[in-house]
This record gives sequence, C-alpha cells and structure tokens, in this order.
Amino acid sequence: MADGNDTQLMGYNAAMGLALLEEMRRDETIFVLGQGVATGGWFGAEKGLVAEFGTDRVIDSGISEAFEAGLAAGAAIAGMKPVVNMGFGDFALIAGDEIYHKLAKWRYMHGLDVPMTAVIIFPIGTMGGAGPEHSSCTEVLGMHFPGLKVVVPSSATDAKGLMKAALREPNPVLFHSVQSLGWSRGEVPLDPEFIIPLGQAAIRRAGRQMTIITYGSMVPRAMEAAERLAAEGIDAEIIDLRTLVPLDWDTVLASVRKTHRAMVVHEAARTAGPGAEIAAQIQERAFFDLEGPILRVAARDVPLPQHSDLEAMCIPSVDDIAAAARKLIET
Amino acid sequence: MTNPPMDEALPEGVAEEMFGRMAVTRAIERLMAKHTREERFSGWWHPGEGQEAAGIGATAALQRDDYLWYQGRGCSWAIGKGMAPGPILGDLLGKTTGATGGKGGGVPHWADYSIGVMGEGATLGSVFPLAGGSALASKIRKDGRVSLADFGDGTSARGTFHETLVHAAAWKLPLIYFCENNGLLVGTRLEAVNPTVNIADYAAGYHIPGITVDGQDAAAVYAATRYAVDRARAGKGPTLIEAKVVRRLGHYAGDPQHYRRPDEFDDYRDPLDVLAARLSGNTAARLIEEADAEVSAAYAEALAAPSPDASILDRNLYHG
Repeated sequence: MADGNDTQLMGYNAAMGLALLEEMRRDETIFVLGQGVATGGWFGAEKGLVAEFGTDRVIDSGISEAFEAGLAAGAAIAGMKPVVNMGFGDFALIAGDEIYHKLAKWRYMHGLDVPMTAVIIFPIGTMGGAGPEHSSCTEVLGMHFPGLKVVVPSSATDAKGLMKAALREPNPVLFHSVQSLGWSRGEVPLDPEFIIPLGQAAIRRAGRQMTIITYGSMVPRAMEAAERLAAEGIDAEIIDLRTLVPLDWDTVLASVRKTHRAMVVHEAARTAGPGAEIAAQIQERAFFDLEGPILRVAARDVPLPQHSDLEAMCIPSVDDIAAAARKLIET
Repeated sequence: MTNPPMDEALPEGVAEEMFGRMAVTRAIERLMAKHTREERFSGWWHPGEGQEAAGIGATAALQRDDYLWYQGRGCSWAIGKGMAPGPILGDLLGKTTGATGGKGGGVPHWADYSIGVMGEGATLGSVFPLAGGSALASKIRKDGRVSLADFGDGTSARGTFHETLVHAAAWKLPLIYFCENNGLLVGTRLEAVNPTVNIADYAAGYHIPGITVDGQDAAAVYAATRYAVDRARAGKGPTLIEAKVVRRLGHYAGDPQHYRRPDEFDDYRDPLDVLAARLSGNTAARLIEEADAEVSAAYAEALAAPSPDASILDRNLYHG
C-alpha cells in the first residue's frame, strides 16, 4: 500500500494512465473511448485499463472523430464522465463543431448551471516525422473558445496530477499530452489524492534577469538553455504555465515585475499562437515594468514537414531559446 | 423498404393528450407568426406549423426520463415532452422568464434535464453524436432510458449521421433516429442533393429497421415511435423513423419562399384536423379553447417580464 510519499519512476503517458486507473476505480461514471484504447492506446496511456474495467468502460471506436467528441458531449450532458483520446491534436479540426461549439457552449447557451465533466485527450506536437497533419499544436484553439479548460503537462508528474484534476473538474477539459515527452520519465507520486489544481503555474527555475514563460515540450529545452545562460552570467526565471485556461496571470505578472524582461517559448506556431495573447496581456498590464519588447520563440509558420531533419528546423531548439535570451538581455 | 409490423392501436387517453399539446403548440405558432409580423423581433424564429404531429406523436411514446435531442423548428418537441409555454415564450421574446434566463431566441435552446429535454444545437444536424452519447450512457448505466435524435431531412447528409448510426447499430444502443422529412433544405429540394427522397431507405445499410410514416398523423407517428422505443429498451438497438411532414410556412419568419410550387399545398392536411377526427364530440374545440387561454396568458406574462441585463453574459460559462 502506497503511503503519502511513495513515488515510482514512470513515463509521461503511463502516468496519465495511472491517473485514469485510479479515478476509474474511484468513480464508476468515468469511461474511456477512442481509437485503439481497448488495446492499450496508440501511445500507451490506456494500457491495462480494459483488463480491469472491461469493454463496457474502455471502448474502441471507429475512425470517427466528430462522433467521438460529440458522444463525449452527449454522455457528459447525460451525467457520465467521458474521457476521449482523439489520437492526435490535429484531429480537433475534424471534430470542431462537437468540441468548440457543443462541449464549450452547451450549458452557456441553454442557461444551465450544472457540472459537465469531459476530458478530451489531444496528443500534440512533433514526434520525429509524423508530418503536417499529425504534428500540430492545437491548444490555442481551446483558448479562443470560452467554456473549455486547457491543460498541457510538461512532465510525468504533472501528467498524472493534472489528469486527476481534469477528471474531477466540473467543466470540459482539453488535455494536451505532449508527444515528444510521451516516454520521458519522472518520479510520479503514487498517492491517489495527489492532484495538481488547474490554473497554477510552476516556477521551474527562479531567476532575476528575465522571465521565460513556457509550457509543454519547451519546458525541458528552456531549462537546458537556462543552465547554459547561467554559465554566461544570465539568470533566467522559467515559468511552466501547465494550464492555458485558466492561465495563472498572477504568477506571470509577478515574475515580470521582478525581472523586467519577458519572452514566451512554445512549440505551437508563432502567428496567433498562445504567445501572442500572453505577450499582449503582459504589455497591457505591466508595460511600465518592462525594459524592452517581449520576445516570442515558437514554431516556424509552415506546415510541419514529414522529413524529421526538416521538422527539427521548424521547432525551437535549446540554441534558439538561448540566442533569444541573449538578445533579450541586451534590451 | 416496407415497414415492420407495428401495433396501430392508440391507448386510452393518448389521442386527447396529444391533441391538447398540439393545440398549445399551434397556439404558440399562431402567436409567433403575429408577433414576428408586428414587432421588431430579432430572434430568428423558425416556424413549425404543419409539422406538429411529428414532435407531439413521438414524444407521447417516450417516458418522462427518456432523452430528447430536438431540432430547432417550431416547439412541438419541447411541448410534447412536457415543457410549459411560459419558459418557451420567455425565450422567444428574449425575457428573463425564458428557459435560458433570457439568452434564447427563435433558434431555441430550451432545456430541462428533469424531463429529458436535453437541448438543441443550432448547427443543423448536431443531434446525432450527442444522442449517441446519452444512449451510450444509458447502456453503460443500464438505466433503461431511450435517446431520441430528431432531425430534418437535409441533415441526413451530415457525416455524423453516418458516424453515429454505424456505432449505434454495432453497439445496439437504445437510440431512435427520427427524421422530419419536409423535403426542403431551406429552399433546396431534397431530391436535388440526395439519391433518395426516402430517408428511411438508409436504414438497410445499417441493418436496422427503417420506418416511413405519415407525419401529418400523430397516431401513426406514435405507433412508429412506440415500436422503436420497445426495440431500444429490449436492447435490440436503433431504429430509423422517417415522418413525411409538410412545412406549411417559410424556413424562417419572413421568408419570401420563392422556391414554392403553385400546387404545393393542394393536398395539405392539417395535423390538428387529422387528429381531431379521432376525438369525440366537442373535445377538440374544448382543448383548443383551453390551449389558447393558456398560451395567451403565458404570452402576456412574457411581454411583461424584464429583458436580461449584461450580468447574464458571464453566467453559465463555467460551473463551480
């Protein structure tokens, strides 16, 4: 029996799976549906679930993303807590009506003050040549349609803790799991009550001279860049947002007011990506605390290539982040 | 496709109950026609006159806690499932007494989960996967409820029509696909874009029963729906019902209807007249009088009710 402090070294996707397992034991209204989930999931998050819960609660669907997401909305409205793994974040667009209209707006447009739990898992980002229709970072869409919550964990620990929060959240959650971190490992708490509340950013590295605001796949890269910068005498603070809706503005603004310099780093495309909103709000709310312009380091504005070497050229590297930081410190 | 054998007998009292609700629906229809003509109304009302027997007949065969997902024309489904005229008119007039608290309009978003009125999605044909979701919920919970997805003929072209029915048939979900086939997609004729004018034909591909009924006759609609309900509750899976209905008015209030044919209404049968023939004595006249009085009172109340203020804009976006 795990006591409160036990941890286990496990992968990011497996940690999500552990959260699902624990919560499905606790709450029989949770069920999991998606393409291949009954055989363990394409990326391993659902491994072992069918053995314990059977095909009544771990359900394979056909290739039908609009149906899967719409079904989640309908089941949630009817009082169940569906978890739908959409396979790839790109497929959000196939199910646009069901996610951004039905899940986001149903209670609002019907004037209903009722809980509605639904977790849509979107594996996002590059994974070494999956190509332009299987590599997109679509999390910004969830920010643009009020009514949804938007999560992007950056570690195995957070993948578990945030999934636990999502499954107890009375609102629909778009849970973006990061493909490039899927098999990264970390010490994950085994306490079934370990939960990371939505809307709380984490300061991954304290620093004095600049604030690097990031999330998801870019957190480990920003951390590595910060270590290099430290050797050069540049002291960067790293904020891992963890959730984009709600976004922890208090932590972001407090850091910027301390460091007076800010840059946003994400794997999502640069133009109208989450960084555009974050930079805009920082300048609206803390302009006179800034020493210079807020920089963005983000994916190149092209469809992501199938060729893995070309793909790597499109995504911010540790070098790119460090170079931007050196520019920022000059302002 | 031929219909499966169905029990055509109407249980005691059902005809009268259906007529009373249809009369309420018609009273609201007439009132909204007048209201949209006379007042500056921005609610996008989509009149349902002529099609009332579909919603009234089908909902009479459902139980109180069965899940209803309706399409946005008229109000027969919500009335049939047990909503009162007050919250319906409140929304149509944009008042705080509406079911949505004042957010609503002529594209209705009436919901009352306590009587299984689950709501309406205004992107046409959005009911399919939503009803699939509540039907799957019922199957997992074994709660014995049936889900009904009401949709127009035009939306049978939607991808989710197929996606949902494929799964519902494979999983034998307690789901009823109910098509109100009025032959018109706004102003486009169904035959211009569909390979068949009989939506029930599609059932064969899913290996489920397809039923075509006279949608002007509430009793026929009731019998077909009861057949589908019994099948769904017995765990035998979905049924596709197609009610041939007549959209008597425009797609929206004020539609000039240039697409109409001159002889289009020559054989028109009003669903109230068809059902009235099953009632005795002056029952129909009495029920119409009662409905008119009830709706007039609800209308006066809605007119007098306040419009919402800006505080409603942030309401119900998130729970908790």
